[in-house]
Amino acid sequence: MALVGNIRDFGLSDFLYLVDRGYKTGGLHLAYKQETALLFFEKGKLLLAARRPEDQQPDLLVRLGILSASQLAQARASLAARGNGATLTEVIIDESLVSPEQFQGPLQSFNEEAVYGLFGWPEGEFRFEQNQRPAPDAPVVPTPISVDHLIMEGVRRIDEWGRIKDRIPSTDMVVRFLEQPGAKTRGIKLAAEEWRVFARINGRDTLAEIAQKTNISEFDVCRIVYGFLTAGLVDVQKKPKPLPLKPGMAAAEPPRVKRSLVNRIINRIKSM
Amino acid sequence: MQTVKMVVSGAVNAGKTEFIKAISEIEVVSTERRATDDTKMIKKETTVAMDFGRIAIADDLVLHLFGTPGQKRFDFMWEILSEGMLGLVILVDSTRPETFRETNRIIDFFVSYRDTPYVIAANKQDRPNAWSPEELRLALRQPPHTKVLPCVASDRESVKNVLLELLYVIQERSEE
Repeated sequence: MALVGNIRDFGLSDFLYLVDRGYKTGGLHLAYKQETALLFFEKGKLLLAARRPEDQQPDLLVRLGILSASQLAQARASLAARGNGATLTEVIIDESLVSPEQFQGPLQSFNEEAVYGLFGWPEGEFRFEQNQRPAPDAPVVPTPISVDHLIMEGVRRIDEWGRIKDRIPSTDMVVRFLEQPGAKTRGIKLAAEEWRVFARINGRDTLAEIAQKTNISEFDVCRIVYGFLTAGLVDVQKKPKPLPLKPGMAAAEPPRVKRSLVNRIINRIKSM
Repeated sequence: MQTVKMVVSGAVNAGKTEFIKAISEIEVVSTERRATDDTKMIKKETTVAMDFGRIAIADDLVLHLFGTPGQKRFDFMWEILSEGMLGLVILVDSTRPETFRETNRIIDFFVSYRDTPYVIAANKQDRPNAWSPEELRLALRQPPHTKVLPCVASDRESVKNVLLELLYVIQERSEE
């Protein structure tokens, strides 16, 4: 079943987060005005990002200087001979037409740039076709690309308050680390300024306070934290403030209810 | 006579009225007015005040269900309703990702100041292109321990299941 929506309402970074954490496999189709894009993922990692139909074709490997035309012809012939199930990428690696590093590097950069460009779209319809896979001869990367890295870098290129404010409505909000960011932090490379903000996150200081302590502008702190947020490293919350209490009222805790009362309601609902 | 309260909230057209209608023993009191804002784009009559339903638990105990509008301009009502409530059902239209941010805002409002027991009901699971509960959990950035339940608000059994799951959360926190 397809997941459909508009990146104006459910941002690209949110969707990439869902793909990453949900270990999704499939094709993400995007359209904005006359532009289209198609991204393929396998188990939450990016295989291919095409901004134009020709970027899904094997000729891309020649255009990027990864293979010569004759090497590509050889690979295609081998692929045809192998039959069902094989991919062009596997053939190129198996037959050592090019080293994995020479293959991965330029192709990964190309795919990453294609994705970063999409972060600039203010809106665009998306449709995620679960389990859709690229054609066998599509130029997919040998090692799928981590999506959280793409989110971090993509968000670095966002400079619009509007989008940031969707997630961080004010600088009075407190930043705290998520309980288990552990494994996710390993693949992420932070710039020096990002480290300064990262090191100041303590679950107590507001964004405004972090800006003051790091001497970084509030906008830049929000932009950096927005990146951490969309990559699932941190959470932002309103600074807790005491609710106005009536005389004799206890602290802002939900009422403690008797288990016997809850059991009575459960039994009644069950019997309906 | 003791009364206890549960609140059903969610973005516009999430299915709050239908949810309460499916389970209430009385005719649901809905204060529906002709919409005057952009909710008009979604349905002709939208809930701009609230819904009220009732389930008699026993002679001495009644459960009240309040459906609250999701629009930001009704924040003041949420505050009033959240006082003394047993728990909260957050309804989400699983077919409309454009409402997920609004849903997050509602969750944040109810939960950030008080540790309110709540469940999320992924409504309209009978529709094509409905996001699954697990996809909604990720989209709404909810932790694994939060219950995100499949729901069809027009189906009484489905609504019963959501309420029971919420009651189990409340039960875990209740005192002997």
